Amino acid sequence: MSSDQDHLKETDTEERFEFKKEQRAAVKSDKGLTEEVVRLISEDKDEPEWMLQRRLRALEHYQNMPMPTDWPGQPDLSGLDVEEIVPYIRPDVDKRGGADDWDDLPDDIKDTFDKLGIPEAERNALSGVGAQYESEVVYQNMQEQWEEKGVIFCNMDEAVQEHEDLVREYFMTKCVPPSDNKFAALHGAVWSGGSFVYVPEGVTVQMPVQAYFRMNSEGMGQFEHTLIIAEEGSEVHYIEGCSAPKYSAFNLHSGGVEVFVGEDAHVQYSTVQNWSKNTYNLNTKRAIVEAGGRMEWVSGSMGSKSTMLYPCSILKGRGASANQISIAFAGEGQDIDTGAKVYHNAPNTNSTIESKSISKDGGRTNYRGLVHISEGAVDSSTSVECDALMFDNESTSDTMPYMEINENRVNVAHEATVGKIGDEDVFYLQSRGLDDDDAKQMIVSGFIEPITEELPIEYAVELNRLIELEMEGSLG
Amino acid sequence: MSTQVHSTLSEETVREISGDLDEPDWLLETRLEALDALSELDMPDVIRTPGRDWTNLDALDYESFVDPLSAAEEKERVEPEGVSVLSLSDALDEHEEIVEEYFGSVIDPQENYLTALSAALFTSGTLVYVPEGVDAEDVTIRTTMQSQSLFNYTLVVTEKSSSVTILERQESEELDGERYYSGLVEIAAGENSHVQYGSLQDVDEETYTYTLKRGTAADHATVNWVEGNIGSRLTKSSVETMLDGEGSETKTVGAFFGHDDQHFDVAARVWHKNEHTTADLVTRGVLDDEARSVYEGVQDVGKEAWDTSSYQRENTLMLSDRSEADASPKLIINNHDTEASHSATVGQVDEEDLFYMTSRGVPDELAKNMLVEGFFVPVLDEVEVEELREDLDAKIVERLDY
Repeated sequence: MSSDQDHLKETDTEERFEFKKEQRAAVKSDKGLTEEVVRLISEDKDEPEWMLQRRLRALEHYQNMPMPTDWPGQPDLSGLDVEEIVPYIRPDVDKRGGADDWDDLPDDIKDTFDKLGIPEAERNALSGVGAQYESEVVYQNMQEQWEEKGVIFCNMDEAVQEHEDLVREYFMTKCVPPSDNKFAALHGAVWSGGSFVYVPEGVTVQMPVQAYFRMNSEGMGQFEHTLIIAEEGSEVHYIEGCSAPKYSAFNLHSGGVEVFVGEDAHVQYSTVQNWSKNTYNLNTKRAIVEAGGRMEWVSGSMGSKSTMLYPCSILKGRGASANQISIAFAGEGQDIDTGAKVYHNAPNTNSTIESKSISKDGGRTNYRGLVHISEGAVDSSTSVECDALMFDNESTSDTMPYMEINENRVNVAHEATVGKIGDEDVFYLQSRGLDDDDAKQMIVSGFIEPITEELPIEYAVELNRLIELEMEGSLG
Repeated sequence: MSTQVHSTLSEETVREISGDLDEPDWLLETRLEALDALSELDMPDVIRTPGRDWTNLDALDYESFVDPLSAAEEKERVEPEGVSVLSLSDALDEHEEIVEEYFGSVIDPQENYLTALSAALFTSGTLVYVPEGVDAEDVTIRTTMQSQSLFNYTLVVTEKSSSVTILERQESEELDGERYYSGLVEIAAGENSHVQYGSLQDVDEETYTYTLKRGTAADHATVNWVEGNIGSRLTKSSVETMLDGEGSETKTVGAFFGHDDQHFDVAARVWHKNEHTTADLVTRGVLDDEARSVYEGVQDVGKEAWDTSSYQRENTLMLSDRSEADASPKLIINNHDTEASHSATVGQVDEEDLFYMTSRGVPDELAKNMLVEGFFVPVLDEVEVEELREDLDAKIVERLDY
């Protein structure tokens, strides 16, 4: 513990995430969401006609769908005006589709990712890295050993050009159709950047692949799309990180993630999201899991003003399983509404959901979850565990689970607890010489340990560091 | 969205009901205002998840149910010493000031379409009034519905340091066609008083029921509920406590047993509004055939509710793969000095238990019935009134069809 503590003190995380850069835009769309903007994006990307048509259909869905306003206790979205958002900014990077050498990037962008520690992580621990700046991926690289085995890791725009058949079949057709919700429709209309991962049958990618998303411009929206296809018996771990400096105007992040887990395949999707505290984070993430496949969602939700995000797993084949571990931290002015959705649509399917939340200084966390067990999903089991820790009386922590059980040969359990930070624990630690803040920090670290131990060490350290900063109240 | 009001639901009808009961003007006014509001009120909230309302109340055809002028019932009231248990018209003669003070004070008559319909049209009512310091024995109210529709109203007022247990049963006599029963229960529990209110709903399965029971507890008062639901085709029932007073407490014990195509939408809700308040919500249900249950539990801890303890457990046992059990146990926590937890489980009769019993020579069907009966034991154990416990147990056994 002490060496971790020392390490944390040495790194100035505030400087790491909060720095701003001058905007560099080669192409910047108008504000708002119009057919012209959608056509501009598609044209600038030189997309095939079918993709433009899909975007336009999504735009139509977006225009016809109401804003979600009547969910019990949902975050306030009244400050979000999509007409004031700039949906597309292409930075002026020479090489389309991203450089494959950090040195080829303009100095200020390279500097951004250096400060975030991405190139260093790539050298040390990762199979490949994609880095997105504003709307476009500016760096993309995959280690050769994986390329030789047929693994594809590229940015989504490149995938549309180079792997058109796969993208055409899987992109927002089976997993997240634009009709799913208002923000999935928005995403379908103006999506840009993101990652495409394809792992052929039987291939195991031992080291994680990573994508990092950075929003730098005021009042922009980022709409990256991630499509992961893991063929039968394959295995891959994908990590995304995200950050943005804080501006006075709000930002919108509305990403889309689609994961196809083939028979007996195993996909882990890990996120540490630290959007600035004026960002609306309204994402749609979903996986379809075939027989014997396993999907794992690991997430830490730290930043953003309002988050509405409920990663979903559809257990389609016999014996499919999904595990989800998440932690949410809400400080002053934050409303983190997050949870999990699982559909058990086949026999012998299994899911576990472990959700932890911490609220402090008037922040609100909410676990909102849906477990659906379809008729015929015999011998399925699910367990949901939610724990909430609250620091003060200004904060709020809610739990709103929904369970729809249509089959009797199942095992369903839900548990939730809420408690304040234990006075006795704090007293014990203080009596051992720790000051109040350190004692609380230590209790929180222990509370979130089930999450951090699922993450690669760099991410676990980052998550701890972010939480420590939140605890000191020095961010935001 | 609101429902078209039947043409016979007119001001004349309301005036006639009120006149028959010889009501004072203020009550007639309350009825007429509720009638007026109908066109603008929504149905009670039901749980919604994407693409789905968990209970569809709009599908009910109120026009074919509501016929207040033909309301008929058999009422039995047992009044132990020291307590007033009065029909509402007698209560208006003897304790008008109490009725006027508390009627509609706990449940706003215009809270939703169905409460307003009830307030405008109720023909049957009971006041239970317990004066200061009186420890009353069991109050019994038995309502047997003999008509197409019946609107029933119960008001319980307990003064300082009193106590009472109340057992209310709803039954129905055979009648052709679909029917509607509506019951509102308001309890105002005074300082340091103790109320246990038990309800056993066993109307026939052609009857749709809507009941809303809500209590407020003053300082150090206790409002305990037992809610047994056996009958009815569609039940929409909510049992709620406002813990307004410091150190107030509530315990809700719920049990339901559905078969055929019965639908139970049951809710247990508690609002912790003051310091040192305690709540315990326990519900167990069994579903057979194509029955469906919808459970919502809410524990709402307000900002000023320091040192709160709040617990909720819900367990459903499914005997058939055609049944459906939906649950949403919610925690809303605004004060960090809280110890709160909830849990919910759904499962079937334990195979190992069944195997154990059948291997000891108990026939399969009997073993299963014994396990179902055993499933309710933890809930029945919480019921303080012996008569209610025995009644509930008898209903469960009857349903198991030994």
